[in-house]
Amino acid sequence: MASPCELLTDVDNKTKAEELLSIVATEAWRIESKFSRYLDGNIIHKITNSNGLAVSVDEETAQLIDFSTTLYELTEGGFDITSGILRKVWSFKGKNKIPSNAAVTKILNSVGWDKANWDSPALTLKPGMQLDFGGIGKEYAVDRAGQLANTITDASCLINFGGDLLVTRPRKDGKAWSVGIEQPDTLTGSATRLIMLQQGGLATSGDTKRYILKDGKRYGHILDARTGWPIEDAPPTVTVAADTCIEAGMLTTIAMLHGPEAIEFLEAQEVRYWCG
Amino acid sequence: MQLKKKLNLRTSLAAATCSLLGASPVAKVLAEEATPWVIDTAALYYGEQDGRVQDISANFLANKELRYGQFLNLSLAIDTLTGATPNGAKPATNTAQTFTTPSGNSSFTTPAGDLPLDDTFHDTRVALGVSWQQPVGDVSTLDIGTTLSKEFDYQHIGINASFSRDFFQRNTTVTAGFAFASDSIDPEGGAPIPLAPMRGIDDDTSKLGDDDKEIIDLLIGVTQVINRRMLVQLNYTYSDASGYLNDPYKIVSVLDATGEPVPTIGPAPQIPSHQFLYESRPDSRTKHSIFAKTKYRFDNSTLSASYRYMTDDWEIDSHTFDFRYRWDMNRYNYIEPHLRFYTQSAADFYTLALNDGTPLPQYASADYRLGEFDGITIGAKYGHQMKNGDEWSTRLEYYTTTGKGVSSTDYPDLDAIIFQVSYRLKIGD
Repeated sequence: MASPCELLTDVDNKTKAEELLSIVATEAWRIESKFSRYLDGNIIHKITNSNGLAVSVDEETAQLIDFSTTLYELTEGGFDITSGILRKVWSFKGKNKIPSNAAVTKILNSVGWDKANWDSPALTLKPGMQLDFGGIGKEYAVDRAGQLANTITDASCLINFGGDLLVTRPRKDGKAWSVGIEQPDTLTGSATRLIMLQQGGLATSGDTKRYILKDGKRYGHILDARTGWPIEDAPPTVTVAADTCIEAGMLTTIAMLHGPEAIEFLEAQEVRYWCG
Repeated sequence: MQLKKKLNLRTSLAAATCSLLGASPVAKVLAEEATPWVIDTAALYYGEQDGRVQDISANFLANKELRYGQFLNLSLAIDTLTGATPNGAKPATNTAQTFTTPSGNSSFTTPAGDLPLDDTFHDTRVALGVSWQQPVGDVSTLDIGTTLSKEFDYQHIGINASFSRDFFQRNTTVTAGFAFASDSIDPEGGAPIPLAPMRGIDDDTSKLGDDDKEIIDLLIGVTQVINRRMLVQLNYTYSDASGYLNDPYKIVSVLDATGEPVPTIGPAPQIPSHQFLYESRPDSRTKHSIFAKTKYRFDNSTLSASYRYMTDDWEIDSHTFDFRYRWDMNRYNYIEPHLRFYTQSAADFYTLALNDGTPLPQYASADYRLGEFDGITIGAKYGHQMKNGDEWSTRLEYYTTTGKGVSSTDYPDLDAIIFQVSYRLKIGD
């Protein structure tokens, strides 16, 4: 996942804590290797090399694909698990280069869930298309790890995979976990806001670290799958608290897809959010 | 996206998540932002020229967001006043003038040609304020507050409330507010009978006891966001004060045909030396104000410009133009020059002095603050934000007023310096 992962827990003995850590870490690695695009032999590799032929996927992958289909419909194509391939023309790692219109148009031929044939459990992609769960993988792993942690303890656990996090249940003494998020706060003027999370998921979307600056214009790293270009005029960063980490993560992504109407969207959903 | 779809999105998302993760009932999220106390402190010095009024004050403001959208605000101000202020008597070219002090215990003398100043009013004032802000529904806010202040001869109790509602995606805000104050005055030596003569030491014939006044203020206003860089605001305020509106320490000279003060009759030394009558103002004052303001955000700076027009039934009209330009030098420093122009017409009962032999008017005051004058304030503020989020700032301003239609020897022009140092910190962060 290329992010630091941590587990905080309220158990009172070290053995239990180590057991929890082992379960959470194992689940994180399991999901990561299953859906990584860098490992040979996993389901992603099979699909990438399917060359237009149908691939039969396992139950977990099928559920993720069903979930992604719903999100594709809810966002009218803005969220699309076939859009990962856009990374071939967009690099946000400090090169400050934007692709040409022609390059984007060309790669868009291989993007679009409407071009895929999904008849569970058979998935057929056109040659050249790829599947990428990068937009939900981390949040999904957090929620799965949380479910596993709950099976072996009723103590409160805070699972944090690179800023996407979940608190499984309230702490026994009723206190909340303090989570710092980097957001400018107009009242106090400081850059860190403190969220007291007793239960639920918290996710942050934004381009404070990864973006391209060219000719005075700022290109955030969240790409609109329909156009192949970054979303314009979205807030620099959005954090949402929701019942699960996946919902929190999806709400931040969908908010960003709304660009300048991100805040209006979040207000309409009646969720707890913080905007930078 | 369609509005209907938007509203259903969260439910659809929750259902999809349920299918993905397995049906176990999902616990509801519990998340709140922890907010610190934001404390503003300031020390201010106000000083007029030539040993006139000096005010040193300390101010504290504490603000905290308790729950989402609920704010508590506490304020404390302590002022100490020293120095001297014109008592309303006109300078006498040829003779010294002796006045009884407001307490009636002693007297003071002003040399010929000098502006008579009363320096016996040293005082300390403590003021407290508490206010509460509360969201009402999705687009409205309610503010309620109370203020209290106490000084040696004056006490104030007030309540205020205002209601704001947003329209058009929060681009327009309409506000309605009211304030009510009940003040009581217990002047040193007692409140004087209007137009009664100043008496000698230990003679309280012209004085009564304490008195009070009530003030009602009503406000209606609208703030409109024009675009990402600009907003405008327009307010109308109605104010009605009734009760004891006189300044109990101000007098009016009585002049003879040559323009010199009329001496009091009796063996020397006469205290007071000349005829001075306590001022008299109407027992009600109704004001109407219109206020317009605009704020424009440039790339690294902000311009604020405002205009206020005030008119009242004492025949005072005033215009105020205020300009501030805040230049954000970088993330941590700003400098803000400030310019303000003020002009006021005189109250219809304002007079430099009364004439012996002409019938007494019903109302008369020589308080220079009710006269016709122009005022200019020019100054600048510098602010610095520290890495831990605290901020300090300092402000230096020069304020000067000039009487109009009167010679400067008769009208007490003013020159004052204002110097302030402020510090903002957060506790509980």
